[in-house]
Order: sequence, then C-alpha cells, then structure tokens
Amino acid sequence: MSSGGALVEVNGVVKRYGSVVALDGISTRIDERAVGLLGANGAGKSTLMRTILGLIRPDEGSVNVMGMGLERSWDIRRRLGYMPEHSALPMGMTARDLVVHMGELRGLPRRVAVLRASEVLFQVGLEEERSRLIRTFSVGMKQRTNLAQAIVHSPSLVILDEPTNGLDPAGREEMLTLVRRLSSDLGIAVIMSSHVLEDVVRTCDSVIVMREGRIAATRRIAPAGDEQDAGVQVQVEGDVGRFVQAATALGLRTERRDGWVLVDGPDAASVLRGVRDAACSAEVGLLQLRPAGPTLEESLIGAIG
Amino acid sequence: MTTDARLVDTAFTRYDGPRAGRAAAIWSLARWSALRALGARRGWKVKVIPISLTLLAFAPALVILGLRALFGTSSITRNVINALPYSNYVSTVSIIVLVFSVVITPELVCPDRRDRTLSLYFSTAIGRFDYLAGKLLAALMPLLLITLAPVLLLYVGTILFSVHPLGYVQHHDRDLFRIIGSGLIVALFYALVGLAISSLTSRRAFAVGGYLAFLAIPTVIGGALGHALNSPHLRLLAFAAAPIKAGQGLFPGYTDKGNIGPWVWGSVAVEVSVVALIVLLVRYGREQA
Repeated sequence: MSSGGALVEVNGVVKRYGSVVALDGISTRIDERAVGLLGANGAGKSTLMRTILGLIRPDEGSVNVMGMGLERSWDIRRRLGYMPEHSALPMGMTARDLVVHMGELRGLPRRVAVLRASEVLFQVGLEEERSRLIRTFSVGMKQRTNLAQAIVHSPSLVILDEPTNGLDPAGREEMLTLVRRLSSDLGIAVIMSSHVLEDVVRTCDSVIVMREGRIAATRRIAPAGDEQDAGVQVQVEGDVGRFVQAATALGLRTERRDGWVLVDGPDAASVLRGVRDAACSAEVGLLQLRPAGPTLEESLIGAIG
Repeated sequence: MTTDARLVDTAFTRYDGPRAGRAAAIWSLARWSALRALGARRGWKVKVIPISLTLLAFAPALVILGLRALFGTSSITRNVINALPYSNYVSTVSIIVLVFSVVITPELVCPDRRDRTLSLYFSTAIGRFDYLAGKLLAALMPLLLITLAPVLLLYVGTILFSVHPLGYVQHHDRDLFRIIGSGLIVALFYALVGLAISSLTSRRAFAVGGYLAFLAIPTVIGGALGHALNSPHLRLLAFAAAPIKAGQGLFPGYTDKGNIGPWVWGSVAVEVSVVALIVLLVRYGREQA
C-alpha cells in the first residue's frame, strides 16, 4: 500500500469553485477507527468527504484511500459506504428493496445482497419496518435506512455526512449509539462530519477541525476518565493560604494564579482525594473545581471559529 | 433514555467474497429501474397501464396466430396475414409504442431527481455515464417488449404454423434481421427522446406533457403546412413517425405517401436521437453528486 496502511491519505488537496476556495491545500492522514470532521457550515467538510469518495476531482493534490488513488474512484466507492447529508432516499421503495439495490450497486451478488439487507436492517432496528415504503418513515427511521444502505456491502470505511442532522433528541441519541458501535463493535472505520462537538466526542477517537477550507486543528479524543493531565484548578472560600499549606503537606504541587489554586499530583485520583482532604483540614469550602488544562472544547473553540 | 434502535449480539458478518464490477452495477441499475417502471413490487394501479399496453401490442400477433391455429391457411387467414406484414406491425401499434414510452421513460428518471437519489447512486460504483447507460438500457428493455417481442412472436408462430417450417425459414431468414433491426431503431429512438425530455424535470407530469408536445406539435404543424404548401417534406416534422418509417425501409416493398425515402426518415430519426443524447450527456455530465 502506497499510503503505508493509512485508511485515507490526503496530500495538498485544493478545490475551487470559481473564486471560492472550498479546500485550501488540505493534507492529513487518517488512521483512527473513528474520525470526526468538525467545523461550521461551509468549512469544507462535505467537499473533503466527497473528494475522498472520488465524487469531486481536486484541482491540485492527491488522495489515497485504502491504497487506491482517485483514478480508481469507482473501485473506492465500491468498498466505501456513504451516507449523504440530505435525504437521498427513493420514497417509493421499501427499505428492504433499497438496501438490496444499493448492495448490488456496490458489487454484492444478488443473493448475498438480499441476505445482508435483512441483516443490516435488523442491526439498525428496522427489521419490523423493512417492507414499508420509505415515504411512510419518520426522519429517524429514514436516517437509519440511510445508514443501513451505507453498510450493507460490508465496507472497510463508512463516510457519514452530518448523520444527526434534523433528528430530534431521541433520534440523535439512537444515531450516535449506532455510529459509535460501527467502529467499536462492527469493525467498520468511520469518518463522520458534524458541527456539534459533543457528537464527535461521543462517537470518534480523534477530531479534525476544519475552518475555511483548511485544517485548523487535530486532536485525539481521550476516553472518559483517561485524560493525560491529572491536575485541577480549585477556587476555595476561606483561608486560601491554609488550603495551599494543607495540600502541600499532603505531597501535592500547588500554585496560586488569578484567584485559583492549581493542584497537581501523580494521578487524577490522588489529586482529587488530596483536594478533598486539604479542604477539610483547612476548613475551607470548595467553590469550583475543574481540569487544570484546557478542555477539548476550550482547545478547539478557537480553531472552530 | 429509551431508544428503539439498538445493536444486538447477532453477528454482523463481514463479507469478503467476490465483488462484481461496473458492468454488473449498470445491469443491476437497469434491471431494477425497468422492473419498477413496469410496476414490479408496486401497487396494482401502477401495473395496470404497462401490462394493458403490452397485451394490446401483442394482440395483433395473437389474433393472427389464433386464426392460423383455427382456420389453417384458409383465404380468411391469408387476407389477415397480408393485411399485416412484419413491416407494418410496429406502425400498426405505433400509438401503443408512443403511450408506452410516455408512461415508462419519465418513471425511470424523474423520481431520482425528485427524491435526490442521484447522489446516492453516484456514491456507489455507478458514475454519471454509467447511470445514463443503465437508464438507457432500462428504457430499451420494456420498449423492446412492445416493438420487437410481438413481431418476433408472429415470426416464430408463422414458422410453426407453416406447412414447411424449414422452407419458410429459408425463404424468410432475412426477415428475422429486419424485424430485429426495425424493433431496435424504434425502441432506441423513443428511449433516447423520452429520457432526454424527462431528464429536464423532476415532475413526471411535466415530462409526460413535454414529451407529447415534442412529438405532437411538430407533427400537426408539419402536416398542416405540408398540406397547405403542397410540400410533402414538411411531413418530416412528424418526429414520432421517423423511426417507424426508417424501420419499414429495412423491408422490401417500402412505400410512402409523400415519396419520402426511408433514408430521409432515418436521417431525421438519427438527428433527433443525437440531439437527445447530447441533452442527456450535458444534463448528467454536469450533475453534482
């Protein structure tokens, strides 16, 4: 594989629409099982996804997907799944017929497509509704049908363009659960776009922030409770000096800054225990407690713009 | 929060078997599209018109073969057979061909635009021109059911009912190629024109109206002006008749009221077909996925 095993490798991709630069020299390498593309509307997320799919030819640069260049775009699309942002489902078909049809168009033999259609519709919770016309579905059911057609052919990578768009809170919850499990349980790598950070944090292993056609930031998303930085910032009510002394006596490193006390230690659990014990012995009240470093949201907010 | 959607422990099997290529994808698109346009896996109301028109197109062949079966080679049968030679079959059912193509071709492309399904198709192995090829094939297959299959049935039935089947084949072997050629010309023309006009709109009603207007208005104007100015060549504006006349020209004994040769009709059919093809290429070549 020319890309050294990377799922997707994008090198210096530029795409212009007249005077508008949709992608401005994008270069990135995607290895993670689940990657979120985060950015405001018009940041270039959909254009990048369509370029990866080979639906858009870049004006400059190259794209390599699972070892294949864009000259084999039809072969790439046969191995990838794609869930478009807007509903593109044929309203006059049943969910089952659509999923079988899309399986065949992506290279599955007919008999296999029929078997797998039943399987994926069951997986997304539409087994009871598989023979209903899509026009009778709710928005959430349409999105689940959209997801089923994207994974029916057992793709190595599925590209989801704003999968929670237009969903109510319950539908959004369902969709995020399904998306997370694509990579964690079903072994399908995911590239998902969203303009909601929480959606990306809940479903992805890393995030690429796009802004005005460029990559503004890239971060790994640590699993909950697995943050690298153990330190915390504390604001106390009472004698701050006594609190600092008590914390230091417990073996924690402390530093006073702008009304806050930065407390650091060997690991998160011992720091939190130390803060609790120091507050008790100094007889101060804890007003606020937060991670010492910037949160993922804080570190990305500037990049998102 | 309770949710309906859940992934259960049922295995999601990986598929590592062979994957078909683009040709299979085009064929799949054509097959699904053609069957759906004919009403397969849809309500009976959608099925009624295509099935009725198909039966009507077969009716002359079935009547002739029925008479042959009942009366043998009597004078009644001979008169009926002579009244409807192979060369005239498609022109006899021409109105059925027209209505059938008006029903079928908008159904092949309009819903894809209306539901924005094109972006879904283009995300598969299907490209823009593969899509066009698939839809053209999808239009051709049902149309050949009207323009070719009944005449072929008549040809085969006539062979079977003849006193010397082998001798009939030897004397009429070229008719088989003429029948196939004529059926293909008519089907290809109506498929291209129908798809081209339908590709301009997402509304089936507009496509049907546009298609009928394109074929009917020039025919009426050409006929009226041709009569008024005594210029038979204005009849060439009857675009709907062009492929049928060209197909008839493949058979011996071709005649035309205005003495217009089959090659002239053929060139009109080719020109209209080329324009239709250009419309389709432009329309789908620019299509955003």
